[in-house]
Amino acid sequence: MITIDGVTRVRGRTTILHEVSFTALPGRVTGFLGPNGAGKTSTLRVLLGLDRPQAGRALIDGQRYAGLDRPLTVVGALLDGSGAHRARTARAHLRWVATSNGIPRGRVDEVLEVVGLTADAGKRAGRFSLGMSRRLGLAAAMLGDPPVLILDEPVNGLDPAGIRWMRTFLRERAGQGRTVLLSSHLMGELAETADDVVIIDQGRVVTSGTLAEVVGDHPTLEDAFLARTASKGAAW
Amino acid sequence: MVNLIHAELRKLLGLPTAWVGLVLGLIAAPALALLSAGATRQAIERGIAGDPSDTAFQPLGIGLLGALILGVVAVSSEYTSSGEDAPGARQMTTTLAAMPRRYRLVGAKAVAVSLLVAVQGAITAVATLALTEMVLGPLVPPAEPGRAAAAVLYWVLLGLLAYALTLIFRSGVITLTVLIVNSSVVSVSYLLTKVTPLAAYLPDIVGAHMFLNDVGDVDIAPLTAGLVMTAWVAALLGLGAWLFDRREA
Repeated sequence: MITIDGVTRVRGRTTILHEVSFTALPGRVTGFLGPNGAGKTSTLRVLLGLDRPQAGRALIDGQRYAGLDRPLTVVGALLDGSGAHRARTARAHLRWVATSNGIPRGRVDEVLEVVGLTADAGKRAGRFSLGMSRRLGLAAAMLGDPPVLILDEPVNGLDPAGIRWMRTFLRERAGQGRTVLLSSHLMGELAETADDVVIIDQGRVVTSGTLAEVVGDHPTLEDAFLARTASKGAAW
Repeated sequence: MVNLIHAELRKLLGLPTAWVGLVLGLIAAPALALLSAGATRQAIERGIAGDPSDTAFQPLGIGLLGALILGVVAVSSEYTSSGEDAPGARQMTTTLAAMPRRYRLVGAKAVAVSLLVAVQGAITAVATLALTEMVLGPLVPPAEPGRAAAAVLYWVLLGLLAYALTLIFRSGVITLTVLIVNSSVVSVSYLLTKVTPLAAYLPDIVGAHMFLNDVGDVDIAPLTAGLVMTAWVAALLGLGAWLFDRREA
């Protein structure tokens, strides 16, 4: 379970997160929805201990990320890009990641198989396409077989087949009882994948609940989203 | 911690740039010992060579370029962009996700760099000293093992110095420019010793006193030089780790 509790983060003179609070539960896909620049990535970076909040706590099963022993066996995270050095092969990248958390070597080939990169395992990460990079990032996230998955815009740059593959993959993980938190700015995609939805806008959570609760009387999630966010398409 | 060190060794040895450093460090000193053998022989025969016991150790100074490169890439590789598609993505995100305790991470990297440089330095020192003995024979006194060990320690400390500076600057280019220009083109530190003898205690030049007798105009005992150099490295590494812990990833 993921608990974000009153997280406030200031960068320079701008407050980019205002007391952000929500939870993501095991066995469910929680969609973290918001326009670009709303604070989705910032929240996830605080959750992963990459950035520090000025106030509040972000916990995974009651613990701060930095307090986790062998964190990759508890949380798998997918952020921007592959997360690999461009000169390294996919397999070499996954090997050092596995070593760092005491994960058996055999898992490397298993996760390469899961994401469909077995044939490209000897290629350098810098030569990967966008879709392949995402798959490599996902493979690294799966190495420790973690009960919690955190993904930032996982379908960005994927082709339709890749999007469907990712959706099925995430639904299956939640079906196994794992906690899945993913951010997105794609309404339609999220409406197909998420059980619960949290909407963030300009650094504040504007609403959260089950998909049905958040959609409410609006015809679609997109309408509900536009009704609740400041952007409202006015700029167009 | 063993897992972290193992992972950092794996990371370093998986980088082409690190191998450039390793190979450069291995061949530069023995090559220089061979190439300069003729000139050195003449200098000794004419009696203008300075301390003859320094002769065998002199070439070891150039090989530390390899140690510098290893220290630098241990950090700079973390900040290299992953690819054209995601210019903001860097290996550092993966590293911190896998090893979120930052002081431990800095420690594990320091151990990995030290181990590699020590192995590289030991091989290079033995090869260079053996070559010098072969080429110059009785012209130079036999090399003392203690001085060879001090030379290897000097390499390790310089590798760690480069590592600490790159942590502070977050840029390999700045570190390499400062250290290489300063050690080969114009040594600002050396020029400063003309102004004040205290400048001989600056981190990039004090270490040479650990294994050479004739360095500049100032005499510093090997043990003193080693302690001063270690203090510099410890202080800069401490500052680098502190900044790394406070900064955004």
